[in-house]
Amino acid sequence: MNIFWPKNELTFEENIDVLSKQSINEPFAQETLEFIKALSKRFLTQKKKPEIVALGYWLRKSNIVAMKQHFYEGNTGILIKPRGTTFHIAPSNVDTIFVYSWLLSMLAGNRNVIRVSSKAAKNNLLKIILEELKCNEKIGSQTIICTYPHDGKATELISNKCHTRVVWGGNQTVNVIRSIPLSPLANELVFANRFSIAVLNSKIIEQLDNESFENLIDRFYNDSYWFNQMACSSPRLVIWVGEKSVEFWNRIELKVKQKQFEFDGATQVTKLATSLMLANDQDVKKIDSKPIFSRIELLSMNEKLRESHCGNGIFYEYETNSLNSVTHLISDADQTLTYYGFNEEELQKFAKNIESRGIDRIVPVGQALDFNSVWDGQEFLTSFTRKVVIK
Amino acid sequence: MKEPFHLEKTEKEIILLEKLNELSELHFNACEAYSKMIKKSEQEIIAKSIIDVPFLPVQLFKSMELKSIPDEEVVKVLTSSGTSGQTVSKIYLDKNTAISQTKALVSLMKPVLGEKRLPMIILDTKSVLKNRKSFSARGAGIIGFSNFGRKHFYALNDDMTLDYDGLKKFMDEFGHQKILMFGFTFMIWKYVFKKLKEQRIKLDFNNAILIHGGGWKKLSDEAIDSLSFNQQIKEQLGISEIHNYYGMVEQVGSIFIECKEGYLHSPSYADVIIRDPISFENVRNGVLGLIQVVSELPRSYPGHSLLTEDLGTIIGEDNCKCGWKGKYFTVLGRIPKAEIRGCSDTFQEGE
Repeated sequence: MNIFWPKNELTFEENIDVLSKQSINEPFAQETLEFIKALSKRFLTQKKKPEIVALGYWLRKSNIVAMKQHFYEGNTGILIKPRGTTFHIAPSNVDTIFVYSWLLSMLAGNRNVIRVSSKAAKNNLLKIILEELKCNEKIGSQTIICTYPHDGKATELISNKCHTRVVWGGNQTVNVIRSIPLSPLANELVFANRFSIAVLNSKIIEQLDNESFENLIDRFYNDSYWFNQMACSSPRLVIWVGEKSVEFWNRIELKVKQKQFEFDGATQVTKLATSLMLANDQDVKKIDSKPIFSRIELLSMNEKLRESHCGNGIFYEYETNSLNSVTHLISDADQTLTYYGFNEEELQKFAKNIESRGIDRIVPVGQALDFNSVWDGQEFLTSFTRKVVIK
Repeated sequence: MKEPFHLEKTEKEIILLEKLNELSELHFNACEAYSKMIKKSEQEIIAKSIIDVPFLPVQLFKSMELKSIPDEEVVKVLTSSGTSGQTVSKIYLDKNTAISQTKALVSLMKPVLGEKRLPMIILDTKSVLKNRKSFSARGAGIIGFSNFGRKHFYALNDDMTLDYDGLKKFMDEFGHQKILMFGFTFMIWKYVFKKLKEQRIKLDFNNAILIHGGGWKKLSDEAIDSLSFNQQIKEQLGISEIHNYYGMVEQVGSIFIECKEGYLHSPSYADVIIRDPISFENVRNGVLGLIQVVSELPRSYPGHSLLTEDLGTIIGEDNCKCGWKGKYFTVLGRIPKAEIRGCSDTFQEGE
């Protein structure tokens, strides 16, 4: 057990007891807003870490104000209270994600216990957070940040004391954590493995002038390469309505070179091996494995293909005549659909016609990685609060 | 099998290319998975030069069952080492491939060991050979090299301690003549060298030739390279002739042995190609890159052209001072694994 916050002589159990006795805040309390303002300011200076800057930007005042407005809209006359203590289990690799769920829970007014990965200790993000926690007594007293091996008893202990549990990670983590009992009154948010798709209108793309084309390429590059195509929302399947565009891929190739994206040897070998292995899937028609990306032409889509994807620039491709004729390809695990060249009506119709549980987000190309307070179909602030009925 | 280190570049390329093309075709026709990979990636099965022969990353043998023979012809399954829990490669051998592997090894070792079988000390335990049908890389190595010796003596007890009494008895009997010692680099380092050093025991194996292999991964953590290994082994065990070899279970017959100049050599029936780790383009001699190995021996499974995960450098070709022909090269070690980012499992980390 390694407790990053608070820094004191107490044991973990004692710290949990102390935390449980702290009072909760009102949603969007002044102290919370001040803490978030201070954090945002610090994050925005981390120029070398675009994901931390993006986090800082998301925490900007206008966004928080808009969130607050939205939160109270339609809830007039209803008393909304925080649930109590939220237990966050953060993923090991997307370092910023725990901050989003923690801060949303904090905005709701909750106390928070966060289990970060052991690797988190090494990065600047945690350092900044710890420094800011020192400066805000109230928020500091409502927060525990720690790391511990998963086989320990700590998850059991916190699960028994918390009112909401948030599990980030893959399917394996979700399954293991779900087997650990939660306090009977608690609710739970889990974030399992997801798969994401881009849908591109080739007729419109081929008519783009140079500037607009470059802009599209820039945004698709960010969506795909920023987290090495390993974020849940990074597009892995490209659906072309119309014929796939040669120009598009030529430009992506140039962009990756121009951005001097750093590939590494081990993942390049894995990319090649994965691409070749996919040849044995019945739904794979053709493989074009290049150093910058590997394009896999599909006849159809299946779960095995979703699971085999290893990120790092592998793009499944599927051609269709119309957006509406691919709804059957969407499966439960599909999360984000980034689009280019479709209007709202077409997208609405597409989303309505999907029969599986799939697709929780439809956003323009370039916004795949943007965090939203509704994620995987769930609204954090709603899950982090409860409504008191008074008649 | 012909002399292994006599062919010069032009002649070797012609002969080897023809054999490799024949193998690509054979596997294309006999192994469905291989043919799909080649077909769907639109690669030419008949190459115009050795660098154009299609290659498979070795890790495919971990995720797929690749063989070009019916199940009933499998006589041996080789598995890669790899720590517990890791998936291992499975290599399927039929009778012919197993025999040609043995023959290749014999021809390869002749320039080092001579014609006669030597009294042999195996710096390992006998228990690694338990299962005769399924061999680990260690077991396969021991079996393969045992053919060059007689009066085999296993120097390690089952609990990995040195059998001093047995060793002394062996040396009383054979110590006056040339003997062969064989073992795995890391095992020798940990269970023989370190133990002797701790106990301040110096041995005098002045007449011994030590052959060792298995990779430097664990030793590089201790900053031990080939040069310092040789020096310290010589100091503690008195062995002056030491040959490292490079090879992998995934490609039978590709054993690259260190010459007296300290370079690994490719024999006539196999070759190495170095590729840029990002673009996989063939690089010039002297440039560090990923090692690709080709061999004319694997007929029972499509492993005649493999991209390894090891980094190495070709020093030159046909002009090594030792007199052996062919490419000569050095191996740096395994390509470093990148830290994978993504929303994937929080459980993967071992804390």
